[in-house]
Amino acid sequence: MGVLLRDIIADYKTPLSWETLAGVAALDSHNALYQFLSIIRQPDGTPLMDHTGRVTSHLSGILFRAVNFMEKGIHPVWVFDGIPPEFKQETINQRRSIREQARERWQEALERGEVEEAARHARASSRIDQEIISTSKNLISLLGMPWIDAPSEGEAQAADMVKRGDARYVVSQDYDTLLFGAPMLVRNLTVSGRRKLHGRTVSVNPERIVLAELLTGLRISREDLIRIGILVGTDFNTGVRGIGAKTALKLVRNGEFERVVSEKIPETDTESILEFFQNPPVIVDYSLAWRQPDREGVLTMLCDSYDFSPDRVEKALDSLTVKSGQKTLDSWF
Amino acid sequence: MLKATIDADILKESIDALSALVTECRLHTDENGVITRAVDTANVAMVSLTLKKEAFESYSSSKSELGLDIAKMKNVFTMMGKNDIITLELPENSHKLKISFEGYRYSLTLLDPSTIRKDPNPPNIDLPGKVVLPGAELNNAIKAATVVSDKIALGIDPQAQIFYMTAEGDTDHIRREFGKDEVNFLNGVEARSLFSLDYLKDMGRVMSRAAEVEVSLGTDHPAKFSFYIASGNGRVEYLLAPRIEAD
Repeated sequence: MGVLLRDIIADYKTPLSWETLAGVAALDSHNALYQFLSIIRQPDGTPLMDHTGRVTSHLSGILFRAVNFMEKGIHPVWVFDGIPPEFKQETINQRRSIREQARERWQEALERGEVEEAARHARASSRIDQEIISTSKNLISLLGMPWIDAPSEGEAQAADMVKRGDARYVVSQDYDTLLFGAPMLVRNLTVSGRRKLHGRTVSVNPERIVLAELLTGLRISREDLIRIGILVGTDFNTGVRGIGAKTALKLVRNGEFERVVSEKIPETDTESILEFFQNPPVIVDYSLAWRQPDREGVLTMLCDSYDFSPDRVEKALDSLTVKSGQKTLDSWF
Repeated sequence: MLKATIDADILKESIDALSALVTECRLHTDENGVITRAVDTANVAMVSLTLKKEAFESYSSSKSELGLDIAKMKNVFTMMGKNDIITLELPENSHKLKISFEGYRYSLTLLDPSTIRKDPNPPNIDLPGKVVLPGAELNNAIKAATVVSDKIALGIDPQAQIFYMTAEGDTDHIRREFGKDEVNFLNGVEARSLFSLDYLKDMGRVMSRAAEVEVSLGTDHPAKFSFYIASGNGRVEYLLAPRIEAD
């Protein structure tokens, strides 16, 4: 998912220690939920489930990420996707068919007894449905954290909140947030410090990308960065076959964007995509407040309803409560 | 444009006041002096600093905004001698601050102010309790408390005419009471709030140099500590959010 800009961004990533990350963080919730659903699984690829077969991987992910963030002084705001723009439909359809294929292959591999193969396909079959979203919001509220429904793309909303100074940075794995103008993007904020990458587990550290540094370093404008995105492909268009980030950078710098578009992808409505990245629908009337977790509420939801071990949940809640005894000045501004 | 000379001690005092809470800040300069207001990354404490042009040996500046990397500035201090006169120079539209003293010529690249958190609004808080006491006394009580706990309550008992600081640890307890002979009760109304010593001990170190610190308190409200620096030509204000009192 996301836009494949890694090749030109690599030089502008700064590794960070967790200690420097305190403050308000706007979380790309779908990105986080997708990570939880694809990674928090049993060895054969079956997600965590309660006794009735309901998936609970995302709830486990939210709980432990909340604990980890609060311990580091990070105040997360969970930003959820709203209604995607019309021109995203193609991407959505593609993703759906990838997931469906993966689901079939997972079952086939299981029948053949190939556990690793099965797990790989299982991860690709992760999907976020209404049930996942509503249970996530429920748990987030019980844990005392704010969430926001973006009118359109969550990444755009998160980027805007950083621009307005209401959050320090966006947390996402995707570079799209930079196209939406997020002044700062932080990646790899996982609890374990590990990530699955192409089927291997690699250890990762938090890293920061500052948009201004990236643009200055590449000697391009943000509009140019979006143009590069369009050539390699975004969530809203498929891009030009055979053009990667480095080639796209060269083309855009040389002013050849229009020519390449009209030759190779004339059907792409580049104007609408540019406009959408620059002025996406966002909301500004939200309030952000972090409260003490509702201990009983969390225990009832996770242990009574979803079969979590009370020991683990109690322990997580303990570490949340101690650290959140400190109030912030927000209540007085 | 900024061109100024300042006593090393005053510059150091000012930067120390900021570095207790933040590692970077936006400095606003104009013909009257320098001001900054910054909140720490966790949104728990705020520092405001005003340095009038009289705090400088010489001073001239147009209206501008500088992104200051405080950690970098502190490194420069290690080379400064006491009572050195420091020359600061920022040409128009430049992003490099020139700092020179005693044969050293620094050129520090400033931060892009847009990457620094935007200035917080001046908070509008009613803190009815007000006492004034020597900064050194305040800092001593804070230091004593850090031995037994990670939090400290500050309060005013109007009946007994006492300003108190009390820290409760797992096993030990410390209470320091200040009577009328030690503090000046500007407004001795009932107040009590609990604060994190993590923050207070860094602020206390800075406040220990002030002859008088004005402490403003409410109940379960932030505390405000204000004091003069630079022989009265600069003023620092700390605002610290409370912790929730456990039952």
